[in-house]
Parts: sequence; structure tokens; C-alpha cells
Amino acid sequence: MKRIAKYWFIFQITLLNSLAYPGELIGRSLMIIPFMWVFFQLWKVTFNAAGLDVIGGLTLQDTLWYLMMAETIELGRPQLARTISENVKDGSIAYMLNKPYDFMLYHFSSAMGETIFRAIWNAVFGGATVWFLVGAPAHPLGILVALPAIIGAWVLHFCVNAMIGLLAFVTEDVSAFTWIYQKLAFIFGGLLIPLDFYPQWLQTIAKALPFSSTIYGPARLFVSPSLELFANVMVLQIIWILILSLTLTLVYRHGITRLTVNGG
Amino acid sequence: MKELRFLLAVWKSNLLSAMEYRVSFITQVLGMMLNDFMYFVIWIIFFQQFKDVRGWGVNDMYITYGILASSFGLMSMLFGNALYLSDIINKGRLDYYLSLPRPVLLHTISSRMIASGVGDFVYGFLSYGLSGALTWDGLLRFILATLLATVVFTAFFILLQSLAFWLGMISNFVGLAFNALLTFGIYPITLFDNYAKLILFTVIPAALVGAVPAAFVSSFTWQSLVELLVGALVFLFLAVTVFRIGLKRYESGSAIQVEV
Repeated sequence: MKRIAKYWFIFQITLLNSLAYPGELIGRSLMIIPFMWVFFQLWKVTFNAAGLDVIGGLTLQDTLWYLMMAETIELGRPQLARTISENVKDGSIAYMLNKPYDFMLYHFSSAMGETIFRAIWNAVFGGATVWFLVGAPAHPLGILVALPAIIGAWVLHFCVNAMIGLLAFVTEDVSAFTWIYQKLAFIFGGLLIPLDFYPQWLQTIAKALPFSSTIYGPARLFVSPSLELFANVMVLQIIWILILSLTLTLVYRHGITRLTVNGG
Repeated sequence: MKELRFLLAVWKSNLLSAMEYRVSFITQVLGMMLNDFMYFVIWIIFFQQFKDVRGWGVNDMYITYGILASSFGLMSMLFGNALYLSDIINKGRLDYYLSLPRPVLLHTISSRMIASGVGDFVYGFLSYGLSGALTWDGLLRFILATLLATVVFTAFFILLQSLAFWLGMISNFVGLAFNALLTFGIYPITLFDNYAKLILFTVIPAALVGAVPAAFVSSFTWQSLVELLVGALVFLFLAVTVFRIGLKRYESGSAIQVEV
């Protein structure tokens, strides 16, 4: 119990820290407003041009609320890979390793603490913009069904980003890997276009990959909550969380053996 | 002429410094090219499914994206500090540039090269090549449009970040404007109504780094050339003027530091 309590405290401290600069927190979240406005213009024209009310099972209203949730998940994520790679590059990892906590669990608790208020503010501004443009979501309570999947998405994101950060043990600079992962998440996660609008063959591939569990799954669950979809999303997410957390543990253990600390 | 020689010397030393870590440099260049391509894949998927947006097709997107990538890349390569100017002002690091007998603004913004910009710059040309509209005169227009869009990009960031002389820490605001410029620059301009277009030519000059240069590359018109030239000159004038006025309010950091 005591082991878990210290990570809970780390989570709480980071959560409170993120409130220390409300101007910065809110300012950062305002970015979602122009994004939502551009998405509205694009999809309004596209639905009109296609002469359809429903594409891939989604109406214009669903599409906008889907994109709001997708952006909320994406924009709420902290730059974890950069933080970990900085720890490795500047040697501060050496000071963290001799503390009475696990390096990875410390970063996990801290990243989750940083995420919560960022995501809430993005959801507030993004939700208000979409509500103003297309009206209320068809299933407002979908947020409750999607909540476990949103948390699962952040856990998955942590696993991948921590692995990218740890690549600094080998490559020093990890920014190129971060960009590429981000774009893979854009394409196969359905950040800018819901996966349901993709050609069938690409949908099949994308929905089986972990990226869909980080964005598409929770966002789709929010706009079309159902028991069947919930079960599908959660099962896929749990499988990927198990695979990636195991891989992360192995990568971390291997990385630590390569660590060389000079001086003090 | 003297300033041009000085600029060439600064750029040469920036390049040598960036190339010192060869593997990191190459990873960043190739990584950025791959990143640009992967972002564009989303548009390829979109246009394959929905064909066009009010007459705007995937080939128009290739050219627009090409101009945007090349001009942003060129700014990052030649005037990389334009992206960090507010930070430099707030941390009192203008002291260093003020103490040297060279134009402060020019020296400051040209003192950093962002290696990934090379990837953006090269990818822009590849994107234009992939548009299927590649001709010799088109390529010359692409180069001219890229240069003018680079002026707009650089001037916009100087203008925006010079507000730090009055407002202090503005990194969030800069981030917001940066994302808005790139987002609106890449989306088809046919999506927007006249009021939105007015904003895209003035407050957030996304049309001047995306749609207008792309139209100029597709086919020569005096109108698009004049729009580009006037836009670049007006933004450059505003940027230099606002920086000069702001510089009078600058408070020294009084820090002893070495620029590397």
C-alpha cells in the first residue's frame, strides 16, 4: 500500500503544479478552438459535396464531436519522450535512479498528473466551440463510457513515448522518432480523419494497430457508446497495454545497463 | 553588400556547427522529410475518398504543402532564431548582439540554424515534383514564391515575438499563432468565406504562405505576384518597425554569458 501511496503523492503534486500557472494552462488549451473551426469548415463542405447526411456511420455532428475528443486526448498529452531523453542526455537520470522510487513509475505518475487539467481545459474550449457550431453531442453520457478508454489511451501513449525517450541511451536526439510516432498516430489513430472514412482495407489494418486504441477507440466510443464497442475497444487496449508495458520494461532494463555517469 | 558577406559568414558557421554531430544532423533532416511525407498521407487518403473540396484537389495540396514546407524550412535554416526571439528578449540575451557592430535584428535571427529545416526545405521541392505540374517556368516561380513566403514567415514571427518587449512571456501566444498559421496555411483556401479570407491575408497571413504562392506556381498571374510582393514588403516593414520601437523598451539581462 505504501508503495502505491508514494506514486499517488507524485501524481497529486504534479496535478497541483499544473495549476500553478493557470494563464499558461488556459493559453495552451485555446489552440483547440481554431482547429475545431477549420475541421467544421472542411467537413461541412465535404458532407455537402458528397450529398450525404451520414458517412461511415457518422453524421457531421458526430464527426465534429469525434474530432473534439480525439484532439482533447492528443493535446492533453505531455511531451514525455522529450523529458525522459533530457533526463538521459543531461545525466539527471543518475540523481533519479538513487531515489526510493521506480524511474518509470515516477514518470508515469507525473505524466498522468500533468495530463488531467490540460485535457479538461481542451475539452471545455473544444466542446464549447463544437457545441456552438453543430449543437450538443448526440450521446452526452458517452463521456462516461469513453472515460476508461481515454485513461487506457494515455497509458498506451506513456508506454510508447517512454520507449522513444529511452532511445536517447543509443541515439542522443530522439526528436525524429517523436515526429514519426506522432504522424503514425495521426494516420492510423484517426486524429484528423475518423478511421471509418478510410478505404476498407486500410480501416482493417489501422483498427488492429495500437494507434487506434490511443485515439480512435475512445473518441468513437464517445460519439457511439454501446456495450459491444466498449468491449471491443477495451479488449484491444488491454492487449496492447500488456504487450507494450512488457516491452518498455525490457527496453528500460537494457537501457540502464548502457548508462555511463561521469563525475557527480 | 557588407551585410550580405556577414550573413554568408554566419550561415556558413551555423552549417558547420550543425554538421558537427553528423548522425544527429542526418537523422533530423531525414526524419523531418519522413514526417512531412507522413503528414501528407492523410491528405492523400482524404482526396482519394472525397475527390475535391470546392474545386481544390490533391495536386493543389501538393503545391501548397510544398511551398509551406520549403519556405518554413528556409526560414528555419537561415533565420532560425526568429522562432526563439521572444525568449531571447525575455532572458536579456539581446545584450550580446547589441554589443557588436552589426544590425541587431539581422544578427540575432540569423545566429541559429535548425537542422530539421533542411528536411522541410528539400521535401517542399519533392512535393512540388509529385504534384504533376512540374515545368521549368513553374520551378522558377516555385523558387520565387518560396523566397517571398520565407520573408512573410520570418517577418510574421519577428512581429509576433517582438510583442515580448511589451508583454513579457508570450510563449503560449506564439505557439498558438504558430499552429494557427501552419494549420490555416495547409487547408484549402476554398473552404473559407470572405471574412475568414481577410483574416488569412492580414492577422494570420496563412494565405500568403500557402494558397497565394501555390496559385502563383500553378499559373502566372500579375495579381498573385503583386499580392505576394506587397504582402512580403508590408510584413517586413511592420516587423522591422515594431522590433525597433520595442528595442527602446528593452531591459538588459546584465548577465555575463558566452554565445556558442
